[in-house]
Amino acid sequence: MTYALDVLQLLLLLAAAPLVRGVVSCLKARLQNRHGASVWRPYSELRKLFSKEDLVPPTASPVFRLAPVVLFAATVAAAAFVPALHGSALLGATGDFILLAYLLALGRFFLILGATDGGSPFGGMGASREALVSTLAEAPLLLGLTAVAIAAHTATIAGMVRWTLAQQFFHLSAVHALAFAALALVAIAETGRVPVDNPATHLELTMIHEAMVLEYSGPSLAWIEWAGAIKLSAMMALLIALFMPWGMPVSFSVAGLVVAPVVFALKMAAVAAGLALLESGMAKLRMYLVPDFLGMACALSILAVVFTAMMR
Amino acid sequence: MGLISLAAAKTLASSAAFLFITVLLMAAAKRTATCIALFSAQCAIITAQILATAYLHHSGEGFLVAILVFAVKVVIIPYALLRVVKGLKTAGEVETSTTPVQSVYITAALIPLAFVVVRPYVRALAVDGQLLAAAVALVLSGAFLMVSRKKALMQVIGLVVLENGIFVAAITTTSGMPLVIEIGIFFDLLIGVLLMGVFVFRIRDTFDHVDVSKLRQLRG
Repeated sequence: MTYALDVLQLLLLLAAAPLVRGVVSCLKARLQNRHGASVWRPYSELRKLFSKEDLVPPTASPVFRLAPVVLFAATVAAAAFVPALHGSALLGATGDFILLAYLLALGRFFLILGATDGGSPFGGMGASREALVSTLAEAPLLLGLTAVAIAAHTATIAGMVRWTLAQQFFHLSAVHALAFAALALVAIAETGRVPVDNPATHLELTMIHEAMVLEYSGPSLAWIEWAGAIKLSAMMALLIALFMPWGMPVSFSVAGLVVAPVVFALKMAAVAAGLALLESGMAKLRMYLVPDFLGMACALSILAVVFTAMMR
Repeated sequence: MGLISLAAAKTLASSAAFLFITVLLMAAAKRTATCIALFSAQCAIITAQILATAYLHHSGEGFLVAILVFAVKVVIIPYALLRVVKGLKTAGEVETSTTPVQSVYITAALIPLAFVVVRPYVRALAVDGQLLAAAVALVLSGAFLMVSRKKALMQVIGLVVLENGIFVAAITTTSGMPLVIEIGIFFDLLIGVLLMGVFVFRIRDTFDHVDVSKLRQLRG
């Protein structure tokens, strides 16, 4: 029964991912006094892209076609680690947070390969920037998760979530506050949101993700877009699961089964609203300030790890 | 009334963590106005802490002190400082002698240092180690803000942060100082900040900037 629930929550994450993206951009539009597109628009965009022809540059190697699929697969595998509806996940027992971090890294690596393989100068530029950002984001991501893992005495994501569930809200220490701050900054950088990268434009010389996918079209672009959406909602779900999991059913019950999706949806909506507020309130950082941004995350995560020893 | 005392205990337990976060954010802040808002938030946390202590110790004076802290530190001092920022009409940037990331790393290093420093006192006085460490961290980071920021106004903010640290140390180790002394300290602080605000204006009028790193020679 838990297995069925694990599969269900993974499918929910995959299917609702474009909706989350739609909600964020719709909220952003409203905050900026625009009417904004419907929240369902990412779905129709995906459908449109899937029905189109896949154009491949004549100079590109097979890696160009392979990259989006590998990115999508790695992202789905990473999403399978994230508990959303209850305190376990499909791959929660088989791998730890390090595997999760490097599954995300694998997806990025292939996207970088695909972008450079496309042969356009924009792709190469975006790829080198993406490489910079992901190199800098790796340390705080791992250290932040390590801090929580030390506090919870377990290395699996599901184990950490169950440990947090067993705690009371006020028993969470500075370790959690610092790790949350660090991981939130990392999540922004990882998913390419505003202070680091602007997901809404194709017209800036400072773009990162959009520069990489400029050569892609049709189904390949659809895989990349969908993977990006899944990554965003998986990151949001991961932050929710690690730092505010209360409301997930501890043991299996019908009432819990009904309440959990509602609570999860509310929490996701709250995080999406926060993200929209942040994105509307901040300007994109200059490229050379991104290392500062992630350095801040790194300082916070190091402090979180140090605190696990201090708080004993 | 079990719920209120539970909430009070939890407030005390978690206020240290929030204080650490305000300290780190202050180190990262790039605008003076942000720093002032953070200072106000920091004092709001301290107000909650005083309220919790007062409730747990059943002291009526404690509530009075909380009201005073709220009025003086959360409202009046930030308001006065914001007025100074507006009145100066220079750019609201903090201008550090270290980069923001270096500041965050240094402040992040000061916090474990605070934990190490307070360890013998925690054992001897039997007080909350985290809160005492937060107090020392506030003192250290206030001093750090004063030495690393170039704008004269940031020295004022550093000083009031430092004072916050001393105040938190006082309410953590004792259950609060006598009311007369508290009132004296608050008025001292208030007048001090107001005077320093005037002083910052005088620096601006005389030197046409408020950058203390350039204050090298006398000028009449």
